[in-house]
Amino acid sequence: MIAALLLVVLPLLGALAALALGHRSALAAVLVAATGTALGAWLAFFPGAPSGHLWGDYLTIDPTSRLFLLLINLIFLGVVGHIRGRMQRAPEVLDGIERFIALALAFLAAANLSVLSNHLLLGWLALEATSLAAAPLVARRGTASAVRAAWGYFLFSSVGLGITSLGFACLARSLEHSGAEPVFFFDQLRALASAPPDAWREVGLALVIVGYGTKLGLAPMYSWLPDAYEEAPPSVTAMLAGVQFNCALVGLLRILQVYRDGEPRMVSVALLGIGLASMAVSTFSIIATHNYKRLLAYASINHGGVIAIGLGLGGRAAYGLVLYVVSNAFIKAILFLSAGKIDDHYGTRDMREVSGLIKDLPASGLFLTVGTFALLGFPPFGSFLGELLILSALMRAHYVLVFVAFCGLLTVTFVATGRSIFPMIWGESKKPAPNQGLLTAPIKLVFVAALVTMGVFLPHPVSSLFVDVAASLGGVR
Amino acid sequence: MTSLLTGYMLVLLLPLFVASWRVSLTGLSLQGLLMAWMVLVRRPALSVDLVVTLVDLVLVRGLVAPLALRRVLRSQRRPSREDVIPPNLLSWSIVVGLVMLGFQCAAWLHPAAGGEHAQVAAAATGVLLGLFVLASQNGTFSQAVGALRLEYAIALFELGSPTHLPVALRLAQVSIFLGTVLTYAHYVGRLRSTELAAPAARIQ
Repeated sequence: MIAALLLVVLPLLGALAALALGHRSALAAVLVAATGTALGAWLAFFPGAPSGHLWGDYLTIDPTSRLFLLLINLIFLGVVGHIRGRMQRAPEVLDGIERFIALALAFLAAANLSVLSNHLLLGWLALEATSLAAAPLVARRGTASAVRAAWGYFLFSSVGLGITSLGFACLARSLEHSGAEPVFFFDQLRALASAPPDAWREVGLALVIVGYGTKLGLAPMYSWLPDAYEEAPPSVTAMLAGVQFNCALVGLLRILQVYRDGEPRMVSVALLGIGLASMAVSTFSIIATHNYKRLLAYASINHGGVIAIGLGLGGRAAYGLVLYVVSNAFIKAILFLSAGKIDDHYGTRDMREVSGLIKDLPASGLFLTVGTFALLGFPPFGSFLGELLILSALMRAHYVLVFVAFCGLLTVTFVATGRSIFPMIWGESKKPAPNQGLLTAPIKLVFVAALVTMGVFLPHPVSSLFVDVAASLGGVR
Repeated sequence: MTSLLTGYMLVLLLPLFVASWRVSLTGLSLQGLLMAWMVLVRRPALSVDLVVTLVDLVLVRGLVAPLALRRVLRSQRRPSREDVIPPNLLSWSIVVGLVMLGFQCAAWLHPAAGGEHAQVAAAATGVLLGLFVLASQNGTFSQAVGALRLEYAIALFELGSPTHLPVALRLAQVSIFLGTVLTYAHYVGRLRSTELAAPAARIQ
């Protein structure tokens, strides 16, 4: 149980230490992230690792928290590796770096707490704390557009989470009306969720879905995401897309673990609608944009839409959904960190002004290529298998129209993304780099290896963890 | 509807029709103070929970939030006119429609007439109007006011709930809200200066 508490306490101590360490703070962050990853791996795969509740039942170690703790700490390790590499290559980032690192570590502490939480409000508060820590990170560049993006990010975050808390209050009213004592612990809620549905519960669930959907960047409240992902430094974008996205998703997963069986139709309709709408708006935006960072941001909305559809399908798509979610986190980390290097090198985000990446920046070009293939759902990556399982679940559930719309939007996204990204990679060389720093290459290689492993063969402890998480969403063991 | 809730509805609605940031902030402050009064009327017994709730409603919502924004706006020497919603007949009609919708929602969710019904109606109206302010404005200050209106309406709704949270969690909730308010004030100040200094250019 100490391991779980360390995941929250260590980053907080690291944040305090970072303020005192100055330029060496990145090393502290790497150490904290590496320890967090090791603890996450131990909790996820070691047979003797603790499980159950702790800290007066406020925290829980279950398959969902095990998987996501490992995932977000691993992504964070990649992010701090990137920051350390940047510090060595670009001295200008050293200005205020200790504050940046301290906020990033505070963000990690809150993220770990939100994943560990067994209490609706504690998880919500921790998620809100991640937004408070992340807003100054988004505005790090200090330009007018970066500050406005940070404002948009924070405003939508707080409004989305406000709507979520209103949803919680409605769910509490529903319990009160059914004669039960309102509680906020997930395990106790599961026992009470079998009460007949009422208007309070329907409204509450709808508000929670819309609220968490805002945090996930889903339609209709997605407009903050392209601006924030474009304007934030690449390390922060990777944190938002790979860490915070998953924390919000865990919040939504836990709500669905409790309430899906009581309101299956309402949950399915809401999530399928939001998912398709998100895919549609992102597809049209991908076609229109010439900015590669924005394209990746729209692709994130698109993936969020696929995940919402997977959630809407419930148990039938649960395993595919887990594969897709984990793949999505690695893909986003690879792509956004690579996009940051491309932006640094060429000094532009206009994809028409970038070409010959594979010759100019071989490592970044290669990672962008692999990441794009994974993004588009090519085999042998986990995203391919995940998408295939979600599509097959759509057919088995007889959602033929949704299936057709899903395939149509996916095809257009595929063509539009390929048309934009591949000329950047294969075109004529424009600005060869003397030698590219490879400090973050090992961790990105780990991400690529994880993506391939998920698409080809999952070793037993990993597959068993995925199956357990899928089972908590109604999937068959 | 009790006189306190009637007063709450007045401070909810009036600032929408008076285009002044001072009135908007006074309205927010009065909302916090009226909610504190409602709590005192209902729960006179002194407890730690009551003290934390009063700190939240009186100090944070009633004083700190409006004063933090006021300080920023005064330092910018903003003109007193600041429309929270577009000043036209369509917006005013939408406001009336949203008030009616709020009461309809309450009738659907809580059909039995009485104090609780009226509180749900006021909270639902506050949420809808907060969302309307957010949807109809681009300015940082108006958006912050919209978000705060939404937060205050949620707080009013939660006052009617019998749920008692542990004090540590309530304190964390108040701290997070305080952090949110100070972040709003920070961006209201910072965006004004950066926007005036350099308009943004973006590759779409």
